[in-house]
Amino acid sequence: MNGAVPTTIIVAGLVLAGYALLMTIRNRRMSVILLGALGVLEILLLVEVGLIVARLASGGRPASLPTLIGYLIAMPLVPLAAAFWGLLERSRWGPAVIIVAGLVAAVLMVRLHQIWPVIHV
Amino acid sequence: MSEPTASPEPTASQPGSARTGPGRLLVAIYALFALSASARAGVQIATKFHHAPVAYLLSAFAGLVYILATVTLAVGTPTARRIAVVSCSVELAGVLAVGTWSLADPATFPDATVWSGYGSGYGFVPLVLPVFGLLWLRRLTRRPGPGQGAEDAVADGPARVTSPADGHNPNPHRTRPG
Repeated sequence: MNGAVPTTIIVAGLVLAGYALLMTIRNRRMSVILLGALGVLEILLLVEVGLIVARLASGGRPASLPTLIGYLIAMPLVPLAAAFWGLLERSRWGPAVIIVAGLVAAVLMVRLHQIWPVIHV
Repeated sequence: MSEPTASPEPTASQPGSARTGPGRLLVAIYALFALSASARAGVQIATKFHHAPVAYLLSAFAGLVYILATVTLAVGTPTARRIAVVSCSVELAGVLAVGTWSLADPATFPDATVWSGYGSGYGFVPLVLPVFGLLWLRRLTRRPGPGQGAEDAVADGPARVTSPADGHNPNPHRTRPG
């Protein structure tokens, strides 16, 4: 199975977290660039969800199916929740929320790999 | 690139102030832990409770404390803030007690909880988070300038704090345009 997508998500999440950290340090508010980067992360996560669902449909089973389903639900919500919560803030602490979202996306991929090593990270 | 530079951070005088400024970040991380701890505990209790009952029940308890802290920090009224102080304190006591217990008696914890090893499975965030939560709540209820010793008196009233965030933290970047 192609492991390029989870790897890309980890890299993209860390890059996003780094950029958002820079914006927080420089005292910037939420910007179009940050929202665009969150959108890219969202698309990547949806692609990964699609790949996992396809894997399940073709008969693959992880060690813990309920946990995997929880991850499938939680993954696409991370960028959306972060964008919503960050946009409500009119200060540097908006981008600070996006730092968390980027790191969480990366951590989710690592945890996913622990649940189902078939997904090469 | 002309990205907007942040205006001075909002005052803490409105209800809901606990969720603005640094509180925005705190609520986000608390929500994350509320979700992950309770979802994980739910799955474990539903599917393999007898494998590690103590660990799973403690995880569920931790999840409930995180939910309470998230909600009360996000609501941010004086009453909610007082409940938030209690839940953050319970959380800090819990991570210290369970962390010590898990190291002293590993047999009770065949599977990890959020608080095992002082939260080592979660990058020690569970250990650091309540400390920042309590510091943030303390800062909210403190008057600026002289009279800072009157936290308790302030906490009883509607807590009119005028500049919670940068009173003594001037930001050198703020005056620079992008």
